[in-house]
Amino acid sequence: MRDELSGGGRLKLEGLLQGLPKNSPASKAVDAGEIDAVIDYAGSNVVLLPAARRALREAEGQSPAASDEAAIANTLLAALPRAEYQRLLASLEPLTLRSGEVLQEQGAAVPYVYFPVDCVISLLATADDDQGLQVGLVACEGMVGVSLALGADVSSVRALVLMTGTALRMKAARFLSAFRQCPPLQLAVYRYAHAKLALARQAVACGCFHASEARFARWLLTMGDLARSEEFFLTQALAADLLGVRRATVNEAAGPLQTRGLISFSRGRIRILQRKKLEAAACACYVTDRRLPVSGS
Amino acid sequence: MKARWRKPRARAGVTTVVLLRLYITGRAPNSLQALANLDAICKEHFKEGLRLEVVDVLEHPRRAMADGVLVSPSLTRVHPAPGVNLVGNLSDRAKVLHALGLKRAR
Repeated sequence: MRDELSGGGRLKLEGLLQGLPKNSPASKAVDAGEIDAVIDYAGSNVVLLPAARRALREAEGQSPAASDEAAIANTLLAALPRAEYQRLLASLEPLTLRSGEVLQEQGAAVPYVYFPVDCVISLLATADDDQGLQVGLVACEGMVGVSLALGADVSSVRALVLMTGTALRMKAARFLSAFRQCPPLQLAVYRYAHAKLALARQAVACGCFHASEARFARWLLTMGDLARSEEFFLTQALAADLLGVRRATVNEAAGPLQTRGLISFSRGRIRILQRKKLEAAACACYVTDRRLPVSGS
Repeated sequence: MKARWRKPRARAGVTTVVLLRLYITGRAPNSLQALANLDAICKEHFKEGLRLEVVDVLEHPRRAMADGVLVSPSLTRVHPAPGVNLVGNLSDRAKVLHALGLKRAR
């Protein structure tokens, strides 16, 4: 009866969560991470939230070692020695981040750092109040709020949740204190910051030299990698904003890919149909990105 | 002649039966927590006259739908009327007591 949360299940969950009345007790409880499942009236089914799905899977009899590894679902945290991780764990608060939520504003103080587990967050450099160019993507491989580790307590980007899912949150002050006392965490975060900088540089070159179709293909592949799903939600308007192009350009880029049967793109639902061929259609930056320790810009 | 409504008076030896229904999702963390929190509240506040029904939405999704449940865990007071609905892991004890009409002045 339960719906697994890969691909279609994830989309269904997004739709169900968006369908909950705003500011209702149910909606507030979802935000507080107090919900395990949402009832899908259309499908007479139950859709589990990521944390509940993992817990139930573990309870169904996976080996203790495997379940232990599953708990450390964020790669950055997983890279820490076990003792350090255990120390951090008490300060990490799990919560559900919902698509469209803004975690940090550009130029504003950073109250929390976030370690995504299965959500995807876009980092945007904003020129106007409502428009932003995507300068990075963060998923289970990284964190939001890396500027704190680099000595700045003000965010240089807007962090926007693209895909609903679970994340672990830590107060900025607690993170800084842990960061100062924990050389393995420093090493992991510096490596991550370096990789993100390299990706952003690559993205600048890509934006200047590569055609929109190839860039769009690369972006879809990266998004699919980070979301660990071949299917995700993205409206044309948001895609245009993220890529820093006009909406018509998104059409021009998506059209040929769709005609060749590599993707399907309708009503904001994107599905990668032929990954190998899409990789061939993407610019070389996709391969360059993947050589870095983390990918996603 | 219009019948006058009278507030029912509690009689000695008669206990109001309270029927609570808790919708859970198997052994998922929030569901286990809701069960434990509710158990503690019931032990303290309901010496007798309580009926607690636990419905696993994974086993009975249609039952949850019939009762208008949106999310799990979720607690419903079926009897006495008016019905009360609470969602989440019931960790806010004061809120649960207040909603169930059990909060005492301190």
